[in-house]
Amino acid sequence: MDANNLNVIVGEGTCGIAAGSKEVIEAFRKYAPEINIRTVGCVGMCHQEVITEIHDNNGNRYIYGQVTKKTVPQIIKFHKGEGEPLEEHLIYSPEKQDSHKWQYLGHQTRIALRNVGYLDPTSISDYQKRDGYKAIKKIVAEMSPDQVIEEIKISSIRGRGGAGFPTHVKWNFARKSEGDVKYLICNGDEGDPGAFMDRSLLEGDPHNIIEGMMIAAYAIGAARGYAYIRAEYPLAVKNFGKAIKDAHELGVLGENIQGSSFSFDIKIKEGAGAFVCGEETALIASIEGDRGMPRFKPPFPAVKGLFGKPTIINNVETLANLPWIINNGGAAYAAYGTEDSKGTKVFALAGAIKKGGLVEVPMGTKIRDVLEDIGGGPSSGKPFKAVQLGGPSGGCIPESLFDTTIEYAAINATGAIMGSGGMIVMDGSTCMVDLAKYFLSFTQLESCGKCTFCRIGTLRMRELLTKICDGEAEMSDLDALDELTEQITKASLCGLGQTAPNPVATTLKYFRSEYEAHIKDRRCPAGVCKSLITHTIIPADCIGCSLCQIQCPVGAITGEKKVKGSYTIIQAKCINCGMCFEVCNSKAIQVK
Amino acid sequence: MSQALEAKVEPEVVLEWIKKIGSDSSSTVPLLQAVQSQYGYLPRAAMDLIVQNTDITGRQVYGVATFYSQFRLKPVGRHIIKICHGTACHVSGADRLNTSLRHMLNIADEEQDTAENGSYTIEQVACIGCCSQAPVMVISDEVSGNLTGAAAQRALKKHAKKSEEIVANL
Ligand SMILES: Cc1cc2nc3c(=O)[nH]c(=O)nc-3n(C[C@H](O)[C@H](O)[C@H](O)COP(=O)(O)O)c2cc1C
Ligand code: FES
Repeated sequence: MDANNLNVIVGEGTCGIAAGSKEVIEAFRKYAPEINIRTVGCVGMCHQEVITEIHDNNGNRYIYGQVTKKTVPQIIKFHKGEGEPLEEHLIYSPEKQDSHKWQYLGHQTRIALRNVGYLDPTSISDYQKRDGYKAIKKIVAEMSPDQVIEEIKISSIRGRGGAGFPTHVKWNFARKSEGDVKYLICNGDEGDPGAFMDRSLLEGDPHNIIEGMMIAAYAIGAARGYAYIRAEYPLAVKNFGKAIKDAHELGVLGENIQGSSFSFDIKIKEGAGAFVCGEETALIASIEGDRGMPRFKPPFPAVKGLFGKPTIINNVETLANLPWIINNGGAAYAAYGTEDSKGTKVFALAGAIKKGGLVEVPMGTKIRDVLEDIGGGPSSGKPFKAVQLGGPSGGCIPESLFDTTIEYAAINATGAIMGSGGMIVMDGSTCMVDLAKYFLSFTQLESCGKCTFCRIGTLRMRELLTKICDGEAEMSDLDALDELTEQITKASLCGLGQTAPNPVATTLKYFRSEYEAHIKDRRCPAGVCKSLITHTIIPADCIGCSLCQIQCPVGAITGEKKVKGSYTIIQAKCINCGMCFEVCNSKAIQVK
Repeated sequence: MSQALEAKVEPEVVLEWIKKIGSDSSSTVPLLQAVQSQYGYLPRAAMDLIVQNTDITGRQVYGVATFYSQFRLKPVGRHIIKICHGTACHVSGADRLNTSLRHMLNIADEEQDTAENGSYTIEQVACIGCCSQAPVMVISDEVSGNLTGAAAQRALKKHAKKSEEIVANL
């Protein structure tokens, strides 16, 4: 076979890079300098990174997972007509279209993510080949802004940034607001830790987001747009910036788009690392050059927003759906989902799950189906314990409620929220009190400090949780947590404070026995809370390898090399960091 | 902190940024970002230059610089290690990365984050969007995932060798 005709496509989202895509590309260049290499964004199968796709000169497609520089020579060999295919790495091939690995994508319905992983994000012609910029062309030629809003109304899409507010309603406010200057902002702050769909979209399919922004801008009558992208996403900033430039050069974006009277331009504003800046009014303050402090609503940004002008802020994933909706019709989108939640939703799976990554499914799918059929079940062999949904504003759903269907009302009924779609999966090794403390530390740190309930209330909550984790609490402290929950929820100025107690409320509701174990028995059942656990070495299992001694950062381990069972931990020195547990290959370290 | 880490600010450079980025109040964040990407932190002299040569007030510059977690007011080491402390990384053991690397760099004082010899600064950051590969860290823009404390040490060792840095507890 002629290697000149081989096309190699390597996944190079941030997660691909983290898994070593640069080394893989280097290896391809070294062993087969004649082949063509292209890079694409993250297809969402993060557990299979580095993912490499090969198109041979017979038009056949092969996809390999977990490729390293070491597997590259064998892959090349096979495609040059020598040797066997690399079966254990093969996800998809003409003969193997139903492999269980492929099922990951096969089970999904991809609308927002339709292009990610298929096109080179730095190539505008790649996007155009996949119907790119067709929707904007159609609306400026054939549709009035009101018709666009009507189509979005038919689709029934609700904002994907967290609150789930109907998109067309918000647009209508802005459309009807007085003023010749209006703004459209793309919210790419993605502050919710554990969610990464917006990163993947901005990085892997930036033109789709630009087109989505143009559609929204046309509908509300905005001529200027801002893309607010968080500082932690340098690749997203880079790819999005290039996409804006290319769209300009090709005349897709800018003055008098497609010969119409519609003009639109986009500027990137990089975030600077403040969670609260994802909130609309704080985001506006941040673009204006101030501290990202939220303000009281009303007036809503749709009436008085950026620089005092009517402004619409839409989430990245919301925008990603718009070109598809225009091209396929609102009804086609609304055909997916349930009565109260239409369309599809992207979830980011991470934590104790076998196949972490991005998953897009129709609304109404059960949580269990996402975690088991697509996610492949728990990664550790231990059963699932809970899934955290909605980040710091959300809550924990216990395994017993995994048959809950994914729709706004049903998720809210559990005490969690849909949020932006981060799903952190947990097994028995996560302590729910520690998790609640983690979230409270997060909100406490991220509170802008403007209102007292949020600033002081979350601090008091964190202090109580710390007391519980340290084994110094009383049962009455749980009542204090309940009381704070109520007050902070009611009295805070913005969504950050209003939802900050949620992780505490849901863990208290579903995992109360774990709180009680900490308080009554001074015990951490998951073995996480440092003040309540001890590390010991089981002499019978110790093979005398000395790894634990080498790793111990405080010199708390003594023993004699090569002498079985000789190692012990000096408890007075031990800081319970868990390094010995992590490096011990013979499971001789006990955590209790 | 060793005196050597303090940056020398050339006024021409800062004035050039102001010309390029703008001098109205909405340029505050981008200007500080430019300063920080050059010096690794916000030297006092650079902030003063901004106040003197734009419409931005001292109150605003200082307010913004202290509000956003990205901005640092203290000099940093030659390389920055960012350890993710997002939820996925937290439940997968981000703490152990922190303990092991601090040990390796001999940063015992909890208030400190830079190694004595000015080589590395350890920083806690919020989610870097690689949650499916948690726990994750970034050394000088190189992301690596699925780490254990020991694997993080190996990555640091490799980086130190490549960039000819001395690490205390190798
Ligand atoms: C504290 C806080 C943080 C938020 N962070 C984000 C965020 O990172 N990204 C986002 O799109 N929306 C975020 N939101 C929601 C936005 O305020 C807003 O509702 C959303 O961007 C609207 O877009 P949508 O209608 O398309 O969902 C946040 C809200 C609050 C209260
Ligand atoms: S939680 Fe660490 S990368 Fe997202």
